[in-house]
Amino acid sequence: MTNTSTLQTPTLQATTVHTDPRPRPITRQRSGDVAAVPAAVRSEWIKLRSLRSTPGLLGAVVVIGLLLSWILATFVKTDPDTHLPFTVGETFIFSTWLTTVLAVVMGTLLFTSEVQHGTLASAVTTQPARWVIVSAKAVVGFGLGLAMGVLGMAAGLGGAVLGGLETGDTSGSLATAGWGLLLTALAPLLGLGIGMLIRHSAGAVTTVLVWALVIENLIKGFAPANFSRFLPFSAATGLLGIKSAGDNAETLAAALTRVQDAFLFSGYIVLAIAIGTALLYRKDPN
Amino acid sequence: MITVTSLTKQYGPRIAVDDLSFEVAAGRVTGFVGPNGAGKSTTMRMMVGLTRPDRGDTTYRGVSYADMRHPARVVGTVLDARSMHPGRSARNHLAAAAALASIPARRVEEVLSEVGLDSAADQRTGGFSLGMRQRLALAGALLGEPEVLLLDEPSNGLDPDGIRWLRNSLSAFADGGGTVFVSSHLIAELAMFADDLIVVGGGKLLAAEPVVTTLARGEATVSVRTPQAAELGRLLERHGIDADCADGRLSIRDTTIADVSQIAFDNRIQVIEITETRRSLEEILLDMTGASAEFAAA
Repeated sequence: MTNTSTLQTPTLQATTVHTDPRPRPITRQRSGDVAAVPAAVRSEWIKLRSLRSTPGLLGAVVVIGLLLSWILATFVKTDPDTHLPFTVGETFIFSTWLTTVLAVVMGTLLFTSEVQHGTLASAVTTQPARWVIVSAKAVVGFGLGLAMGVLGMAAGLGGAVLGGLETGDTSGSLATAGWGLLLTALAPLLGLGIGMLIRHSAGAVTTVLVWALVIENLIKGFAPANFSRFLPFSAATGLLGIKSAGDNAETLAAALTRVQDAFLFSGYIVLAIAIGTALLYRKDPN
Repeated sequence: MITVTSLTKQYGPRIAVDDLSFEVAAGRVTGFVGPNGAGKSTTMRMMVGLTRPDRGDTTYRGVSYADMRHPARVVGTVLDARSMHPGRSARNHLAAAAALASIPARRVEEVLSEVGLDSAADQRTGGFSLGMRQRLALAGALLGEPEVLLLDEPSNGLDPDGIRWLRNSLSAFADGGGTVFVSSHLIAELAMFADDLIVVGGGKLLAAEPVVTTLARGEATVSVRTPQAAELGRLLERHGIDADCADGRLSIRDTTIADVSQIAFDNRIQVIEITETRRSLEEILLDMTGASAEFAAA
């Protein structure tokens, strides 16, 4: 029996010499990677629109917005804190908080579903400048969040009108809608960053939901308002200008301005995406 | 042409790929073989920048993968045929890949047709068989009309017809001047269409040579059935040829049918049957890699 120890020393394959007349492959200029971003955005857009879950999610945003406003208008009718009747001018924004959470979840899936299904490896093989892929996902996520915000607010408006609410004071509604849209547009980017850190769909979605719906509320329960105002979803609430049932004089006094909340929320996004991008370069994709 | 130089990758105490150097020629199909754990997949991943080597590099006609402006137009890869979103159609899967690589959308229809998936183009890949996924993965590799194909176990899950199709496709690609580097555990299958072999074991290079050279490693045995076995045995010994005799049959190594039959003819020895057997490529490679196999049956 032949064994490996008796083999001849392997040599480079020299038995076949082919002279390739083709020119060398065109080399990449690092500065030219920016030019690849639009193509990557097109790719991400195709990925997003080609899944049934995307229209399903947008439909869910509409249903939630419509139902929430309609239920408030039809069954609750008055604000339990102020005892004043709900109006269209304030009710249309209520579902935006849930839209924001859904948008964060959607943002996590933009990345984690690629890891889960092994398509991230194909993507980084096609585009070795990995930051280009992250940028494209951020652009598409921003657009998706914006669309979710518009649909959610439109549905909230429709539900309030259908429920027969008075128009009320609408002087601040345009500004509220603008801040709300900024929030829903940024929310998938936060999700993208979280997804890049956790890299697992179920883990990332669970983390987002538990943090947004449970942990932050627990922290607010025992931490001073001067601390809890810096939490990410507190900043999100601040951007919407919504008062919650747990707010008291101390929390209201400590509240940041909308501009500060916007910078704080963006800061979390930048941090998460920066660390996530560094990990994307360091860790081998599946 | 692909040039792999000193590729090395270590995971903890285990060296997955150990100073691996070889070249893959254009216009030929080169098989990449070795037992499980030999470092084939790790090597292929390092060749396209998916795994960072501890040392060494890979160049494609002098340019490393990460330095190419449009790598998908130079190297088509299939490293895992399962890598596709089950909720996305074959057409959209390819359209997204084409868009990322700035490849014209018309190529999507062309490659779907090339791999025989045009009728399933709008089906979601979640319902695809493994064979269909292999075809779709190959379609993705062909999108950029590359000059190099890098395929990790592309025949997994293919039926006999699919394997024949793959074999013919890869051979045609190489005949057109393309470079095909394909790993497979189906060695008998690989022997039918590979021109060259890179053999690895335990992360090390064991051989890099044409298939015919590897086949020549298998000793030929000439078997002769004759009523005069003892007499023929003595005659062969006189010619310096050792023969084993059992049940009226002689087994002779390191010779040819022509030599043995000539000796028998010259000495009026009656020969009822004379055959030459060679060890298969699979047997030869098993011998070559046996000592380095990480997982072997008891």
